[in-house]
Amino acid sequence: MIRIAFKILLHDTAKYLALVMGIAFATLLISQQSAIFHSVMESSTRDIIEANEADIWVMKPSVETVDQPDQMSELTVNRVRSSPGVEWAVPYYQAVAQLRTSTGRNKSVTLIGVDDSSLVAAPHTILIGSLDDLRRPDAVIIDAAGFATIFPELPLRTGDVVEIGQRRAEIVAISHTGPSWTGLPRIHTRRSLAVEYARETLNPVTYVLARAVPGRSPDEVAREIAGATGLLAHSRAGFKARSQEWVLNYSGVAENFGITILMGVVIGVAIVGQTFYMFSVENLRQFAALKAIGVSNSRILGMISTQALFVSCVGYCLGIGAASLFFALFSPQLTGGLRGMFMDPAIFIGTGVFIVLVTLLSCVVSVRRVLTVDPAVVFRS
Amino acid sequence: MQGVVCEQVAIEFPTAAGPLRVLKGVDFLAPAGQLTMLVGPSGCGKTTLISIIAGLLRGATGSVSVFGKQVTSLSGAELVPFRLANIGFIFQQYNLLAGLSAAENAAVPLVASGTPWPAALQKSRALLERIGLGDHLGKLPRQLSGGQQQRVAIARALVHEPRLLLCDEPTAALDGKSGQAVMGLLRDLAVHPERAAIVVTHDPRVYAYADRVAYMEDGLLQKVEEGKAATLANAH
Repeated sequence: MIRIAFKILLHDTAKYLALVMGIAFATLLISQQSAIFHSVMESSTRDIIEANEADIWVMKPSVETVDQPDQMSELTVNRVRSSPGVEWAVPYYQAVAQLRTSTGRNKSVTLIGVDDSSLVAAPHTILIGSLDDLRRPDAVIIDAAGFATIFPELPLRTGDVVEIGQRRAEIVAISHTGPSWTGLPRIHTRRSLAVEYARETLNPVTYVLARAVPGRSPDEVAREIAGATGLLAHSRAGFKARSQEWVLNYSGVAENFGITILMGVVIGVAIVGQTFYMFSVENLRQFAALKAIGVSNSRILGMISTQALFVSCVGYCLGIGAASLFFALFSPQLTGGLRGMFMDPAIFIGTGVFIVLVTLLSCVVSVRRVLTVDPAVVFRS
Repeated sequence: MQGVVCEQVAIEFPTAAGPLRVLKGVDFLAPAGQLTMLVGPSGCGKTTLISIIAGLLRGATGSVSVFGKQVTSLSGAELVPFRLANIGFIFQQYNLLAGLSAAENAAVPLVASGTPWPAALQKSRALLERIGLGDHLGKLPRQLSGGQQQRVAIARALVHEPRLLLCDEPTAALDGKSGQAVMGLLRDLAVHPERAAIVVTHDPRVYAYADRVAYMEDGLLQKVEEGKAATLANAH
């Protein structure tokens, strides 16, 4: 009977394609918007993601999100280093500064000062130049998208000299990083230089990055650091969650994307449900004939479920394929707002589960009509 | 052998104007080995009676026995396999599955009974070839004429060799020539010593193919004429 179910489904090509395309569109809408939302949330914690050598972040208790740091004294670093369970700890500095080009163009930039000796939290992907060049005098590394924003007329290159905080800075390397929440160019330099660019000498540390000794949980060590220092300490994952929670609560991004995703869900349910329901209802007489002949309700249920699962799988594959193609095209770009956007495996799985559930739900609704149809209807002309 | 025996079968349906008694105590017999026609004007209860005999319509009073099995006492779950094993249906509108070829349509009762596809198709092809549709085995219903579709429906009704054949106005959607051809075929294939065939019709041109004609009117069986098909035809 499964073969018969497929033949009924595939016979009317126009209706079959309408079903598949409806599901594909719903899949595309839901998965793409969810992935963009997820990527935007990831961008709000770009610094935490990229400084992946550290598994603990220590900060002032007033800090709510990574992009709004509060300055601390340099002594804080030693207090963290002396805390139990800490393998190493380094200072980290982050601020917004003003960059000025030789042609007089001004730009706000995110300035990231990494540990002078270890270069922990320096960018991992260098497109042009070398990370070692960061040790040179006045050396800064700028991300490719930021370079394109500041020098739209120039190709990516090193050697340009700019002013940051009225001090000389030479671009010695071009890095590739994902988009940041603020959208500002990201400039990495040594922390000692960064505090000069930002003219911040009293409290030249915004975070202390630390690593737990092997075998100790970062969450546990973070709690011990907090207890020993009176500072706020989070594991990397914990700080990421705290920062994202702040973004969700105060930025409105959740509402905006939530509405879009909800629309995707509603449109998806409407398209999938309505199309499949109509398909089943239009085949009602055929199912009634099968019932009259002696095909049981459970076998008809199996036939309709098979049809639903098949169209949802085909539609899902097309939709998720289109969404993947979208990200495959835009994600590797060095510039542009969609660079670095990606689709998390959880979105693949979640969208698939959702689409199958919606199709099965609409199948249940249409099955009710089919199962309750009076088989004697076949005797009526 | 008595194929179908109905005794005092009655049923009523609720309407806005109160209960409507469609059957008012029908006594009806369709012996095995004969083709029985159930005739009468529209609305007299013919289709309702065969729906009750088939177990498609429940809630009737009285007794309906199909080859000794009391249909009225079977549960809904018991009726489904009973119909599949024992009854073949031919409908006025054919009700072939649009996405299936002629051979596949004719094979549906076998497939539903659990016969593997190849064996079911082999049997349905053989039957279709026997009824002159050997050149149309792979065609979809929309590629067949009305008469050809009804012949496929006949094959579907008989492919699993049911003991009871129920036909509802099998010639109503066909022109006179096709109707005669379909009835001739139906008579040739359906009449079997161990099978009862009931044909609901109000087309007097096909009475010639009946062994018995039962006349219904206003929810009651008025009279039954028995005899050779040709005699009955001449009488009308």
